[in-house]
Amino acid sequence: MASLVSLHNVIKRYVRGKQIIEVLHQLDLEVPAGQFLALMGPSGSGKTTLLNLIGGLDRPTTGEVIVAGERIDQLSSSQLAKWRARHVGFVFQFYNLMPMLSAERNIELPLLLTSLSSAQRKRNVAAALELVGLTSHAKHKPAELSGGQQQRVAIARALIADPTLLVCDEPTGDLDRASASDILGLIQVLNRQQGKTIVMVTHDQKAADYASRILHVDKGQLVEAQAGAGA
Amino acid sequence: MKYFPLIWFGIWRRPLRTTLILLQVAVAFALFGVLQGMKSGMDQVVANVRADVLLVSPSLESQSPLPVAYVDRLRATPGIKAATFFAVLGGTYQKPTQRVAALALESNDVWQTLLPAILLNAVIVLPKDLHALQSTRTGALITAASARKYGWHVGDRIPITSTTLQNNGSGSWVFDIVGIVSSSPQAQVGNGIFINYDYLDQAQALNKGTVAQFVVVVSDPRRAEVMSDRIDRMFANSSSPTDTAPVRVRTQQALQRIGDLNFLIRSIVSAVLVALVFSIATMMMQTVRERTPELAVLKTLGFSDLAVLLLIAAEALIVCTAGALIGLGLATGVFPFAARFLPGLSMPTVVLAYGLVGAVLISLIGVSFSALRATKLQVVDGLANR
Repeated sequence: MASLVSLHNVIKRYVRGKQIIEVLHQLDLEVPAGQFLALMGPSGSGKTTLLNLIGGLDRPTTGEVIVAGERIDQLSSSQLAKWRARHVGFVFQFYNLMPMLSAERNIELPLLLTSLSSAQRKRNVAAALELVGLTSHAKHKPAELSGGQQQRVAIARALIADPTLLVCDEPTGDLDRASASDILGLIQVLNRQQGKTIVMVTHDQKAADYASRILHVDKGQLVEAQAGAGA
Repeated sequence: MKYFPLIWFGIWRRPLRTTLILLQVAVAFALFGVLQGMKSGMDQVVANVRADVLLVSPSLESQSPLPVAYVDRLRATPGIKAATFFAVLGGTYQKPTQRVAALALESNDVWQTLLPAILLNAVIVLPKDLHALQSTRTGALITAASARKYGWHVGDRIPITSTTLQNNGSGSWVFDIVGIVSSSPQAQVGNGIFINYDYLDQAQALNKGTVAQFVVVVSDPRRAEVMSDRIDRMFANSSSPTDTAPVRVRTQQALQRIGDLNFLIRSIVSAVLVALVFSIATMMMQTVRERTPELAVLKTLGFSDLAVLLLIAAEALIVCTAGALIGLGLATGVFPFAARFLPGLSMPTVVLAYGLVGAVLISLIGVSFSALRATKLQVVDGLANR
């Protein structure tokens, strides 16, 4: 299957004060379209940095990052913003919803950047709310929702613009076991039924087991692990 | 329009802070509106004063009343279209605290237009009232305000006690009310009455044949200053030298006596507006700092740097413009009261326009630093709230 994500010789260095820290060392990665990849590793191993590079939130120091056929490491800031809006959906550990906006307004945010009419946006939001099972909570603000419900809203927001790639950073890190299982089940359904390519960072082996492939990031290098239980 | 909810909820994220800033902007623009409006209103009052009318007063050195005979020389001077005069009888009505100033007018129809001219359009004199005054030797025209204040009516005889004595040694002057001139409700001419010069001049024991001021109308308003100089030169070597100036200049001088109004107003308004820029800048810096992760999320979702900048700028713009509208509205409401002290004073539309343009500029200047900071925010740093 063709790769949706390709990283070649990627090096990422950070400057912290007078120190230069190399987080990723000449890293190569191929993620085929439709794969559910889990990235595991200890804190500071570079897995979130890798996820940020794949999602176009950060640029490598050297190397190539090709996602959905585009050399995103060469895009300007505004081009990258447009590219993210078109191709990537993000799910974060702490949901990162707008606290003042209702669930439906949060989900609608990515659609504001499209040319869809208000009625079309409303229809799409309603469909996304239904997909994540929160139709009855459309008018609720994040503070009025449980952690699991907030993460569902975040997933609906990530999916609303129909991205090719879903990037999840510890999506269950702030949830209890039951809610976590619920969310991971939903992500797995998105992968299996809608064919979304998913790259997920997690500490949790049980969460990683939902993926079809697991990679360990260790000291800035990738180590192939056993296939996830979801394979 | 589709971004409006995002902007609106951003504004009301901290309701108390937004309300306080809104009030601050409103108070600042109310002050701007009142002061700037006062200045423009005063300029307007001066501009409305007739440019062709001169006041000939006794010179500051002599201070002696002017001889009435000057009027013939004035009327004979080329470039002067009309000339008349008045004297003043000061007194009280019933109580020493109820002061009345009587302007003793020469019998002349020109007063119908000149009286409003020298009293800054505070009174309107109808021809029938003027004729009634001229045909009754002891007649008096009173203002509507004085009629209300003292309960006077046409046909009443009113005694005025004055230090100006009559030929018989009495200081009690009696006048017959023959008409009421309408005065602007806000005008401060309530205690003024208008009487006949001939009666005053013949009845008073001293200063016979003298006047307080001449009122002159020149043919060419553009030569008002030149004519003023010519008149003063004409009487320079007499026993009663004159000090002549256009009414417009006298009005301007009277207003200037309040102080260097322009400088004062400019200083206060500038200080207030600069303080406002800092307040807006502080508010927006705080709001951007607090919302760093949210702004990073917007960027993550695909909002460009420019879009984020415009969202932040729109918030400041809405708060500032709304505050300015409230403030300018309050200022406009104040002007009917201010006009009691200066007839004709009103809020010029141009001040409202300047105020709104100012609000836009202040919000843009105030928000610029924080908005630029928001655009430079790196998504990864923002998500980590760094």
